[in-house]
Amino acid sequence: MRHSIEGAVREGNATDATLRGDRRAFFAALLRGAVTAVAAAAASSVWATRLQAQAGSSQSAASNVEMTSDSYKPVRRDPKPGATPQMTEKQLEAFERELACPCPCTLDVYTCRTTDFNCGISPAVHKDIKALVDGGYTGDEIMAAMTSTYGDFILMTPRKQGFNLLAWFAPFAAVAIGAVAIGALLRSWRVNAATGSATRAAAAAADAKAAESAPFPPSTGLSATPDELARLQAALRNDGQ
Amino acid sequence: MILVGELSLWVALLMAAWTTTVSFSGGVQGRADLVKSGERALYATFAFTVLASIGIWTALFTHDFSIKFVASYTSANLPKIYTFTAFWAGQAGSLLFWALIMTLYSALAVFTNRSKNRHMMPWVTGTLGVICLFFLMTICFGANPYERLDWIPPDGRGMNPQLQNPGMAIHPPMLYLGLVATSVPFAFAIGALISRRLDAEWLGAVRRWALLSWFFLTIGIILGMWWAYVELGWAGYWAWDAVENSSFLPWLTGTAFLHSIMIQEKRGMLRKWNVTLVVVTFLLSILGTFITRSGIIESVHAFAQSSVGNWFLGFLIVATVLTAYLVSTRLDDLQSKAELESMISREAAFLYNNLALVGICFATLWGTLFPILSEAVKGEKITVGPPFFNAVNGPLGLLLLALTGIGPLIAWRRASVSNLRRQFTFPVLSGVVVFAVLVTLGMRNFYALMSYLLAGFVMGTIAQEFYKGIGARRRMYSEGLFAASMRLIGRNRRRYGGYIVHFGVVVLFCAFAGLMFKKDLAATVKTGETIKATDSYGHEWAFTSQGVSQFEQLNRKVLAVSFAVTRDGKKMGLLSSEKRQHVDSNDQPTFEPSTEVGILESPAQDVYLVFTGAVDAETAAVHINFNPLVWWVWFGGIMMAFGGIIVMWPQAQKERESGYVAELPSESDVLVGAGA
Repeated sequence: MRHSIEGAVREGNATDATLRGDRRAFFAALLRGAVTAVAAAAASSVWATRLQAQAGSSQSAASNVEMTSDSYKPVRRDPKPGATPQMTEKQLEAFERELACPCPCTLDVYTCRTTDFNCGISPAVHKDIKALVDGGYTGDEIMAAMTSTYGDFILMTPRKQGFNLLAWFAPFAAVAIGAVAIGALLRSWRVNAATGSATRAAAAAADAKAAESAPFPPSTGLSATPDELARLQAALRNDGQ
Repeated sequence: MILVGELSLWVALLMAAWTTTVSFSGGVQGRADLVKSGERALYATFAFTVLASIGIWTALFTHDFSIKFVASYTSANLPKIYTFTAFWAGQAGSLLFWALIMTLYSALAVFTNRSKNRHMMPWVTGTLGVICLFFLMTICFGANPYERLDWIPPDGRGMNPQLQNPGMAIHPPMLYLGLVATSVPFAFAIGALISRRLDAEWLGAVRRWALLSWFFLTIGIILGMWWAYVELGWAGYWAWDAVENSSFLPWLTGTAFLHSIMIQEKRGMLRKWNVTLVVVTFLLSILGTFITRSGIIESVHAFAQSSVGNWFLGFLIVATVLTAYLVSTRLDDLQSKAELESMISREAAFLYNNLALVGICFATLWGTLFPILSEAVKGEKITVGPPFFNAVNGPLGLLLLALTGIGPLIAWRRASVSNLRRQFTFPVLSGVVVFAVLVTLGMRNFYALMSYLLAGFVMGTIAQEFYKGIGARRRMYSEGLFAASMRLIGRNRRRYGGYIVHFGVVVLFCAFAGLMFKKDLAATVKTGETIKATDSYGHEWAFTSQGVSQFEQLNRKVLAVSFAVTRDGKKMGLLSSEKRQHVDSNDQPTFEPSTEVGILESPAQDVYLVFTGAVDAETAAVHINFNPLVWWVWFGGIMMAFGGIIVMWPQAQKERESGYVAELPSESDVLVGAGA
């Protein structure tokens, strides 16, 4: 079933073209819905390329849109002479999983760009990385380029150096301290047990006496009936013999 | 009704204030009439909060768009069910919903203790009153759902389409029921601290509430995972997002409490620790609410940034300081005479269990807050993403899993070597067998192998416990297998319900480890073209595009892509994923388009299809994921909830009044083992 849908697509930053009656228009309407201030900026870079043919837009990717500090920032380097890619497609994927998407999605670049329809930032970042890979740059060089533009914010995890070491080691240090504290606590309990052994022996004797007369007083917290308990007691006594 | 509701909100506020005032002064002066008045006022607070809530629901269903909340989160064409759930879709409404649960719980707690724990009830009622008062104040002055617009829009903005999902309809209430339930144990802890009655008595009053909280938090978290998995489209269910973490933190300390409470009940030890855990659990639930609602940390789930955060921060600080003061002045009363014969005992295992749980809690909190710390100290914004949490919590999680198996095998007080050998043989063997089989099958992933080794061990423990228990019953009472199993569980609900929960936890760990073998690929295909892929089990999959279609449905326009799927040449049916553009009643698009993923579900693995976007009318970009064992996450969650129900299920009065039921079985462990 086909529907006739009116939709408008924003081209560049001025004209509203009204398309009518086909999937493209529908798609354009979808797209228009997608764009919030930030996403719109980057969306153009992704979708522009994909949409150029159908929407007849001559808009170039991400070049004519304003960026906010948290959004896409171009990372460009001239290709190395005689460049050959230093990374395979799989390595590129793994690389992108180490980078946080600068949009508020809290995902990594690879996951975001393969998932989120609305985020235009991760595909734009991907394009930059791809260009750098094609330009012959190694993973370390690209990482350096990314962090010099975005700061360490772009890394999925804090660097294991300087102040950020605290992030990595504090949890383990806390657990280690806890383990030592528990060890000390247990030891002190044992000391308590040793010093209080005489009193406890007396108490145990009293307990045993009490147990003799009433094997399981109702206050000890049992879920079985007295009858069951008596039978269990008997069975256990037999077992012990 | 809307006006009645609005006025009721203010009356509820006054009632909560009255409750607080007279309960505390009644407690100080020892005047029963004031205490009684406070309790009645608390019931009234609940009644008026109900009226205030009904008012909002009325506004939602009558589409009164002059009310900002209604206009912001609903539209005239929103399906009825989501109009109902819109109550908790936005900041102001969800706070009122929170207050509704809070006052309900408060009323229930006071009612069920009307002839019990009387000496501490004035303080308990007063503390509950303070919390109710805080929430009602936040609502009245910070985010009032009855706030009016100065004009009446023709239609509302509608509900975020990602919230138009059955999971999202019930996930928040479950989470709130769990988070709010931490207030009652907290109130009892305060009551016990003020009245200096710090023996096991107050624990008896709160155990059920702590369980209730744990139960709802578990369901809420699992439902949240399910929602994220089916709705957000990134093919995962847990991203260590700040909001996810904030619901996880009180769950961890709550779980720790449910274990350590047994030591106090049985041995009278760990009084300080138990009070601390109860208090920390409550404070973490408030902290989580603060994180979620202040916008201080970026998150996909967070509410819009608002001043409500300041209220929560203030409350958090005041509550922390007052409680710390209260505990510090009661340290002598919290002194317990602790004795332990051996380092190898169940008490020790429980302590390390608590260490692992609290350790994970600390690590998670630390990772969540570290970006703020870094920005404050170094002025640098950094990201602490899922790889960090996995790296740090992975080892701690495995430690916890190991303890889940070890704890039940060790006797209280002291374990003898021969007893240990007898108890550990089968579980260790079962873990080793699982490990050997998986290695033979070619599994090499270290974390996964460790997980399955430990999972086999814990399963062995649980199986052995049931086997021994059932065997003992059958010998003693000549019961059939079924009757013996049922009675074993029925008569020892805490113990065997607990094992069922452990079973669910093990299943969850197995499912988590399964994601180590996740595979995915992104592709762009024209109609008729086929994507070929191999999953981790070695099956050959083929996805043939049936083309992109578009249609209208309810309040949305849909763009869909379908694939005919085969596995090793065998037809597996159609798999579709949709892009949905929601529209308002004037057919104008609302919100961003959302993804409806296609999932081919099976216990072995989910095939998870995401429609990334249409390139043109014929060509679709998709992301295909093979997610092993995800089905078991939901199954494990259901088992945990099921075990929780068994543990909570009321027993006959005589049985319920008693303490920890594991006392006899834990001793009989040794003896039954000797007889076997």
